[in-house]
Amino acid sequence: MHPFSLERPRDLAGAFASGAQAGRNDAPIEFIAGGTDMVQLLQEHVRRPDRLVSLSGLLDATIELSPEGLRIGAAATMADTAAHPAVLEGFPVIAEALLASASPQVRNQATIGGNLLQRTRCPYFRDVGYAACNKRAPGSGCSALGGETRWNAVLGTSQSCIAAHASDLAVALVALDPVVELRSASGQRTVPLAEFHRLPGETPHIETVLEPGEVVAGILVPASPIARRSHYLKVRDRASFEFALVSAAVGLDLEDGIIRDAHVALGGVGTKPWRVPEVEAALSGAALEEAALRQAAALATQGAEPRGGNAFKIELMQRAIVRAIQTAGARA
Amino acid sequence: MSATRFTLNGGEVEARSAPAARLTQVLREEFGLTGTKVGCDAGDCGACTVLLDGEPVCACLTAVGQVEGARVETIEGLGRASEVTRRLQESFLAHGAAQCGICTPGMLVAATHLLERTPHPTEQEAMDAIGGVLCRCTGYRKIVAAVCAAGTPVPHEETPTAGAAVGARLRRLDGRRKVEGTDIFGADEAPPDCLLLRAVRSPYHRARFRFGDLEGFLKAHPGIHRVLTARDVPGVNCYGVIPPFADQPVFAVEEARFRGEAVAAVVGESAAVEALDLAPFPVEWQELPPLTTMDAALADDAPLIHPGRPQNVLTRGRVVRGDVEAGLAQADLVVESRFETGFIEHAYIEPEAGFARRVGDRIEVQVSTQAPHHHRDDIAKILGISPEAVRILPTAVGGGFGSKLDMSVQPFVALAAWLLRRPVRMVWSRPESMMASTKRHPARMRSRIGATRDGRLVAIDFEADFNTGAYSSWGPTVANRVPVHASGPYYVPHCRARSRAIHTNLVPAGAFRGFGVPQLTLAQEQLMDELAEKLGMDALEFRILNALRPDQPTATGQVLGAGCGIRQCFEALRPQWRKRREAARRFNEQNAAGVLRRGVGLAGMWYGCGNTSMPNPSTMRVGLKANGRIALHQGAVDIGQGSNTVIAQILADALGAPIGCIDLLPADTDITPDCGKTSASRQTFVSGKAAELAGRQLRAEILRQANAGEGARLSFEEGRVTVQEGDHERVLWLESLPLDARGYVLSAEATFDPPTTPLDADGQGDPYAVYGFGAHLAEVEVDLELGTTKLIGLIAAHDVGRAVNPMLIEGQIEGGAAQGLGMALMEEFIPGRGENLHDYLIPSAGDMPKIEFVLIEDAAPVGPFGAKGIGEQALIPTAPAIFNAIYDAAGVRLRRAPATPDRLRAAIKALAR
Ligand SMILES: Cc1cc2nc3c(=O)[nH]c(=O)nc-3n(C[C@H](O)[C@H](O)[C@H](O)COP(=O)(O)OP(=O)(O)OC[C@H]3O[C@@H](n4cnc5c(N)ncnc54)[C@H](O)[C@@H]3O)c2cc1C
Ligand code: SF4
Ligand code: FES
Ligand code: FES
Repeated sequence: MHPFSLERPRDLAGAFASGAQAGRNDAPIEFIAGGTDMVQLLQEHVRRPDRLVSLSGLLDATIELSPEGLRIGAAATMADTAAHPAVLEGFPVIAEALLASASPQVRNQATIGGNLLQRTRCPYFRDVGYAACNKRAPGSGCSALGGETRWNAVLGTSQSCIAAHASDLAVALVALDPVVELRSASGQRTVPLAEFHRLPGETPHIETVLEPGEVVAGILVPASPIARRSHYLKVRDRASFEFALVSAAVGLDLEDGIIRDAHVALGGVGTKPWRVPEVEAALSGAALEEAALRQAAALATQGAEPRGGNAFKIELMQRAIVRAIQTAGARA
Repeated sequence: MSATRFTLNGGEVEARSAPAARLTQVLREEFGLTGTKVGCDAGDCGACTVLLDGEPVCACLTAVGQVEGARVETIEGLGRASEVTRRLQESFLAHGAAQCGICTPGMLVAATHLLERTPHPTEQEAMDAIGGVLCRCTGYRKIVAAVCAAGTPVPHEETPTAGAAVGARLRRLDGRRKVEGTDIFGADEAPPDCLLLRAVRSPYHRARFRFGDLEGFLKAHPGIHRVLTARDVPGVNCYGVIPPFADQPVFAVEEARFRGEAVAAVVGESAAVEALDLAPFPVEWQELPPLTTMDAALADDAPLIHPGRPQNVLTRGRVVRGDVEAGLAQADLVVESRFETGFIEHAYIEPEAGFARRVGDRIEVQVSTQAPHHHRDDIAKILGISPEAVRILPTAVGGGFGSKLDMSVQPFVALAAWLLRRPVRMVWSRPESMMASTKRHPARMRSRIGATRDGRLVAIDFEADFNTGAYSSWGPTVANRVPVHASGPYYVPHCRARSRAIHTNLVPAGAFRGFGVPQLTLAQEQLMDELAEKLGMDALEFRILNALRPDQPTATGQVLGAGCGIRQCFEALRPQWRKRREAARRFNEQNAAGVLRRGVGLAGMWYGCGNTSMPNPSTMRVGLKANGRIALHQGAVDIGQGSNTVIAQILADALGAPIGCIDLLPADTDITPDCGKTSASRQTFVSGKAAELAGRQLRAEILRQANAGEGARLSFEEGRVTVQEGDHERVLWLESLPLDARGYVLSAEATFDPPTTPLDADGQGDPYAVYGFGAHLAEVEVDLELGTTKLIGLIAAHDVGRAVNPMLIEGQIEGGAAQGLGMALMEEFIPGRGENLHDYLIPSAGDMPKIEFVLIEDAAPVGPFGAKGIGEQALIPTAPAIFNAIYDAAGVRLRRAPATPDRLRAAIKALAR
């Protein structure tokens, strides 16, 4: 494992002062929460920070429902969040995405904050045997371009990086328009989740808008009919703990079989959690009929750039959208 | 450095390891709690599951600094403190839920958490709870059953009386230490002053290399004692499982032939070696264009990977009987197809590990292995010493499936310990294991099969190329075994089967459950279905019509005479075949508007037990001790399949003794005679037969001493054997008898080598003494739109000759079927990519349906009590049955495995066009 020091600051102020930065693959000081992604990255020498600053016990882990919506503390575990009655009741897409993620053991350890900041599963990123990876080593090139792309994205890609964002939870959340609470020594700010992750562009190693010394403190998800009638569908090769080939998160506001409003997000296909506003616009006012759904879903592929081994995702993501809407629509 | 304080198994402890150290490492190395296993160090396998403040977590993903003040419980502590864990342990034993046992502690910890909250879980709850722990041996069903049943106390086992051990559902004799987490696997033990060794491996498929300043590297790294390269090998820098083909160096010389090949090793103090970043190791690579496909390797201008193997062909196999062209001409219908498979990884949960130490002028290697005697001989050659100077002590093997027949850590640790005169240990990481260990051969097959209008097979023309990778390993065996099996378990008058094993610059392909026969069967059994369909015949009845009879010759001209139960296997499936086909049809009609389609498929198989036309003797030694107990020198390595138990059962009945009076002496080349390799489904059959012979000899010896006849009854008590014949009773007082040369009062040693004959140039002869037969029926549900396939039912009928231990056989079938499911739906290893257990997928608990069994006992007269092997057989028909079921459901035939959603969708789309 890469040698580093593990520090446990006594309070948040200490954590802020450390200047640690998550979401940037060249940061010399980084946070660690549940450690489920970080420990692995360190072991494979994918991340080589000098210092790790533990957030254990510093952030709140509460999950609360208030009139503004659902607030999930960044330190809440995936398991606790998935089992929370308010989540199950009013935000099923979140619980479903979490239960379809990782394994029970990992869900017991992993935090919501860490989940949003987990790194891509692009196999070249995670294997230092491949020298070229702009995300890991800025400017080194991209081994996935021209390589095996089954695991990579078709939307939001750049000439520098085509890595898919790996989090199921982030896909479910982004469909519900939440904001992320960020805290640092200079106070608190909120950022819509849709703007929290960055597109790779020329700088794929910078994954989020986090500043040095800034942490994710929590997530605020507005309650809505959309959230209540929501569903997460994950397509993968085996029954449990595998990342998504393709996934779809949908929320519907229905009236008499007509879609008043729909939110649709995709996983496994985008370089960040991917909303498809064109699809949503086409769905609005549509009936829950296969043909209409298909037509709308076809709009998801706008701007998609398949590369060999991931071309199948173009069709699969449309089908996943249709299926997820049908399932959500059939819910009472 | 600050210590981390936490509560471990109820006691306060202070860990001195750095706070960043992984909890697995700290538990195992600092606290000696090796019940917590390490399968991946990445959260993928769950073998390291412990309770952290009562919740199951992966200890490998936990830095010890993070558990400050927390409560950690491991299998060792739970086994003492938790009533629930103890009940689970009993239930696991009673259900045969532990095979190799490497996943067992993790399973038990995860299940403990469930049962403490839900004393009587449903199957789904049990499946969810263990969903994060992978098992490669059991197929999960017995684990789920054991968890569900653990709510109520487990009844005590009734041990069979003398003469009734064979056929009993006996618990594994070595099971208790597996459920307690005390079994010692390759990485679980090392002498305290042990050094650690790590290999420097080629990052390229093919590269020339030169070392830089090794001396300087050593000087710059205190704690590193030595760098080893090919120059340090005192004997021959070459080994291999089949001596005439041996070609693999311990360290490559000048050119690395595959990605992951070792070129050097560093040895030093554990901490120093662990922390070492090998990136600056002084080796200069010059990447060369690799041969990564068989076509490239066969090209006229391709460089030779091994001089002397023209066209990069390692070996060819050939079986010709009758006149194929004439046969095909005379057929009313001929079908033809091509089929391809990729590399498949064994993915045992225990990565390769072991240590060596020099004892005077001998070297001892304690290692996880399937072939101790063979490895002894190879180590001797490498070190340039006599085989007697090498001792191999096999540890418990956390899954092998063929790959641990090849050496892994052995040559490295033996060489280092020999030269440095210090114990040296090596533990492969998961990526290292996946990069460097052997794989199942990718196959490219072409086949034509002809039949007459009335449904009789007349001719088969089969050709296959196998990508054998950079070194020979078991390539010759695959090339030879496949043609023999090309006809499948059918009578085919004209048969021509040819195969080649072809070198490429990829990881060596070796032995994996079935030696190429699973690939072959995947191609052939689909063609059988196509043929039946075109003939307008029922797929099952077609197979029954053609099933090999004991009086018909096989493609090699062998007439089995007896022990040929394929027809019974197929017939046993008939009622369910009809019922489930009908049910699937009804489901599809009722859901015609939906996207789910069900289908049912069949496949048959046969498999010769033991080596192909080669001697493969096993020798068993048994001794009567002065205390009245029987010592069994059991050298047939138990890799989870159960030879420790099955061979003892056979011995008990041969001897006429209750199984409880047998003491197992585990494999150790110094004390157990050579039982050959745990491969080719030969241990129950060959070593079991040797045990039967040795048992009968010892019995005869006892009877002779007591002057009693064959029918006498023996009872073994402290210090005496009582021989009862009618009203006569004679007591042998053992303590008064002299000890023989082997140190026993009486002893016997017997060797069995199955009667086979060499194959001639046309592959004619008797390559195996017995064949196992079987047939699977698979029921799938295909999602036409997403391209996903779920196996929803499986019935497995197997002719095992005699079911020595039905519970263990079921375990082999379930485990084999799970690997077949993996082969069908998700598994393909791409060298250089996804060398871990989250990109390379093996079935998890939720993938496995309930399996029903039919055990046919068509006794093989040469086998022990009629028994044949089952280890490999179980895997062979699963994947083709699934592919046939997919066709039944979705109307598409894939020409490549696995049937992943993207491939299936592409085929469904092509069909619609
Ligand atoms: C076997 C396995 C299977 C998995 N399968 C899935 C899956 O199917 N779907 C899925 O979505 N995920 C999956 N994951 C990923 C898993 O969800 C993440 O590893 C986990 O959520 C990370 O949380 P953590 O608390 O352990 O983060 P850590 O590993 O501790 O940290 C991860 C990153 O987040 C940063 N970080 C953590 N908390 C904060 C914070 N509050 N503020 C700022 N930065 C922070 C850290 O600096 C670090 O960069 C899997 C993981 C494993 C090991
Ligand atoms: S896709 Fe991105 S993460 Fe993957 S190799 Fe290219 S740059 Fe690296
Ligand atoms: S060793 Fe921890 S999950 Fe595999
Ligand atoms: S018994 Fe589960 S991995 Fe061997």
